[in-house]
Amino acid sequence: MSMTLTETRPVDGAGPAVETLASRVRRFAEEDPYRVCMREKRFGIWQDITWADYWDRIELVAHALWALGVRPGDRVAVHAENRPEWLYADVGTVAIRGITMGLYPTNPAPEVAYLLQDSGSRVLIAEDQEQVDKALAVVDDCPDLEWIVYVEPRGVREYDHPKLLSWEQFLLRGREHRAQDPELLTRVALGARDEDVVTLIYTSGTTGPPKGAMLTNGNVSFAIEVLVHGGGLFDPPAGPDDVTLSYLPLCHVAERAATVWNNAGAGVTVHFAESIETVQANLKEVQPTLFFAVPRIWEKIAAGIQIRAFSASPLKKLNFRLWMAAAAWIGRERVANDGEHTWATRLVYAVGYPFLYRALRDRIGMRKVRAAGSGAAPIAPEVLQFFLGIGVPILEIYGMTENAAIATANRRGRVRLGTVGEPQPGTELRIDEATGEILTRHPGNFVGYWDKPDATAETLDAEGWLHTGDVGEWVDGTHVRIVDRLKDIIITAGGKNISPSEIENHLKTSPFVKEAVVIGDRRAYLTVLVGIELDTVADWAARRRIAYTTYRDLTERPEVLKLVQGVVAATNERFARVEQLRKFRMIPKELDHEDGELTATQKVKRSSLYAMFDHLIEDMYANRQDHAGGDLVTVHATAGYGGDGDDAAPAPTSAADTGAEG
Amino acid sequence: MSVPRAVRRGRPELYSDYAADMALLNTPAKRAWSAAILVAAVALPLLLDRDLLGLATQVVVYALAGIGLNLIAGYAGQLSLGHAFFMGLGAYTAALLGGTGGATVRGYELDLLVWLPLAGVVPALFGWVVAPLAARVKGLYLAILTLGLLFVGEHVFKEASWLTGGSGLGRAPAEAVVLGFDLYEARVLLGREIPAEGVFYLFCLILLVVLGVLARNLARSRTGRAFAAVRDRDIAAEVMGVPLVRTKRLAFTLSSFYAGVAGALLTVLLGYTTPERWNLLLSIDFLAVVLIGGVATVTGPIAGAAFVVLMPRFIETFAGSLPFIAGTVGAPGILNVFQLQRMLFGVMIVVFLVLEPRGLFGIWIRVRNYFRAWPFSY
Repeated sequence: MSMTLTETRPVDGAGPAVETLASRVRRFAEEDPYRVCMREKRFGIWQDITWADYWDRIELVAHALWALGVRPGDRVAVHAENRPEWLYADVGTVAIRGITMGLYPTNPAPEVAYLLQDSGSRVLIAEDQEQVDKALAVVDDCPDLEWIVYVEPRGVREYDHPKLLSWEQFLLRGREHRAQDPELLTRVALGARDEDVVTLIYTSGTTGPPKGAMLTNGNVSFAIEVLVHGGGLFDPPAGPDDVTLSYLPLCHVAERAATVWNNAGAGVTVHFAESIETVQANLKEVQPTLFFAVPRIWEKIAAGIQIRAFSASPLKKLNFRLWMAAAAWIGRERVANDGEHTWATRLVYAVGYPFLYRALRDRIGMRKVRAAGSGAAPIAPEVLQFFLGIGVPILEIYGMTENAAIATANRRGRVRLGTVGEPQPGTELRIDEATGEILTRHPGNFVGYWDKPDATAETLDAEGWLHTGDVGEWVDGTHVRIVDRLKDIIITAGGKNISPSEIENHLKTSPFVKEAVVIGDRRAYLTVLVGIELDTVADWAARRRIAYTTYRDLTERPEVLKLVQGVVAATNERFARVEQLRKFRMIPKELDHEDGELTATQKVKRSSLYAMFDHLIEDMYANRQDHAGGDLVTVHATAGYGGDGDDAAPAPTSAADTGAEG
Repeated sequence: MSVPRAVRRGRPELYSDYAADMALLNTPAKRAWSAAILVAAVALPLLLDRDLLGLATQVVVYALAGIGLNLIAGYAGQLSLGHAFFMGLGAYTAALLGGTGGATVRGYELDLLVWLPLAGVVPALFGWVVAPLAARVKGLYLAILTLGLLFVGEHVFKEASWLTGGSGLGRAPAEAVVLGFDLYEARVLLGREIPAEGVFYLFCLILLVVLGVLARNLARSRTGRAFAAVRDRDIAAEVMGVPLVRTKRLAFTLSSFYAGVAGALLTVLLGYTTPERWNLLLSIDFLAVVLIGGVATVTGPIAGAAFVVLMPRFIETFAGSLPFIAGTVGAPGILNVFQLQRMLFGVMIVVFLVLEPRGLFGIWIRVRNYFRAWPFSY
């Protein structure tokens, strides 16, 4: 049954219409209608959705959108967590040659307004009361928005607004329309072209307002060819026997590829996590075979393993230490062997499997993972080596929205840690001699930013090269190493070019550090702002009986400052003299998307952070000690904060107090 | 609806329907282990001799009675010392209906299909009748009340010689014959001769599995939750709408049913019974089965029964190697075997109550959780 799926898939462009996401799903639904294609956990169990159900919903959504007046080229916005309705809406829109636009569930109302205005969306599919409230707050500023369809009626049912429509009513309109005009989708599909824009993916906007990258049908088809069938995302390529967990925001190109394109292209069974908080538990249940995560998630999983091992009983701890030492060795050996096992590591791994690796992988939900990916941000090689050691090979891949996530990837047996791999098949990649910027050219290159011809011209040159904005270099002539974002490169007062993200990533390999922002552009030396990881540091403090009240209080405990000082010192050992961090200050709050410090993808917005924590930066460069932090020798708490007569450990308020101990 | 094999397999915690989620054996590991234990239990008659098979059968029957006591004492929290009385009632019901009459005793020589169900139903009816009385009191008072029931019962058993054969004399049990097929007769199975005890053991095992699964299902149903509510706080349970008298009555009735069936089987196994057998010591034996096995569990009493029945034999076997233990009464030594048994029995109950109130089942849970959490501690 699953054999026929792979045999009939390749389409050589023959026939009246081109392949679209809709036509791919439709073929699955015709060939194997009763096979389960996705599952969603509701009411405690994983509810099966078959290909036939999937296509039926897509049809209803497409007809309903048509009935609401959406025509080819119109935009439909989706503002929801990952759930089947997201896919129904996405593919349903594509089925009538519309354009899907996704919003991050964490987008605050002003950003929602901006995105709806900029894209000119006519219909918004909002998940629940939270998103409907955001939309209603800005609905008057969005003249193009005609309908708001809400999926979860709870709390919204009582709302009385002429533009509101419930998901059930929406589908009902689709059902009525389908009864009147059952051939609509077939007719529309005949007109589908590779040049059709199918989605706007808004870039996260670390530097300015988000820009909507237009990806066409042709881009998506090329992405499916390279990433899905060609094994560019998961190597060896995904197939109908594969299982994935969908949990990263679907409006990001990486998750769109991992969920929608993988599903429609290769027929993997997608499982939707209940929420981002339950990912760990859901992973353990679903035990995916393919798993893509951003570095932050990988770091968190690794830190979670360490924390839980700290509090294990003695025998278990001994077992853990023994086999983790073996895993560290396996990791080193495999790194030296292009990511593959040698016979010696395979033997050690096989012996350690029943003692630790099997149970450990089961606990983190990676027992069946055969291919894992990391992307969307740079990951520290130490993290990759850690997972390689316990038998979860993570292949770092590199791509961006503008090139449909296609640029480079590490392949099995040719892994170089610290690089993002080799150019994908069919990809031309070169590094600009003058600036070191990476340029790519292939059929997946986007056609431009929505309604921003100037920005498009800056990014996409006349010869079709995409300027990625990343500085890279060749390693061994085959692999590409990313140095940093072009805009982020620090040029010190001494004229040295320094890549902050390398230093930051090394700091973040410590389980105690969540955020690190290196500062030093046009300065005499480098400094860093550090934000602690609340979970791990809280656990660490509890085991040392360090009392604290709030996040900020914990951050400014002298013991915690010393801990951070140790991390900074360990990082300095790895870098050249000009790259040494001289001072650090603590970020007194957890960074948040809604406060404008992070982008929706949890990337730090440097400019707004510099502005927000200007006083901390000045504190360091003006040689003051008004705020909690330290240098390489001493630490100090915030002046006039802490040290409130605590009998156990009065917080030192001057450097001299701790100098002797430090 | 179809799911590829590779997607289906190896994901024991992924439930896509409620039936699988709620199944008693909801993981492949549980299914495999249960099947293995069941196969081992069924294979026992091929492996053990008559003497040990008799003991094994006694374990099964004790387990059945223990499950019954656990329904009322463990799940519903109503401490009953009258369990031996209900067992006796079942035993004599069976003997009267299924046994042979004689000079003093009556017997109707009916089929097992008649006497075994009635051996459960008659005590159950009796339990149903006295339950409203017992439902009025709780705790220590209930223990005393059921103790009184036990004494009244013992007296009646001694006096009703047409039924029991009278004090010190006793009577033969019911004949374990189903539609002409004698369940207590040596048979040839798989080319090997199975002694009579082996055949009867298999019959009791089937009953244990059926009644055990019924009890387990009852315990996790609405009724079982009502039992637990009454046990944990009767006033709160009543406020929440759990009818106290009806719930306690049901617990009594069900518990008595299990006791009666076990009593009937026990007499068949022992071959002869006197009215003195159904006394306080027997009730305490079953409290030990429940406490050592595990309060409010179904698997626990099976382990507890094995412990209570097999421990004396163990001591007997190994007592010879201890110098201060006399092998028989009157031989030189500080203690004789039977005294040691009783003492150890008492010690074990104290040890379990103090150190492991959840019994052998609790120990198992600890062991299981230790390995389930591997390689961490939570």
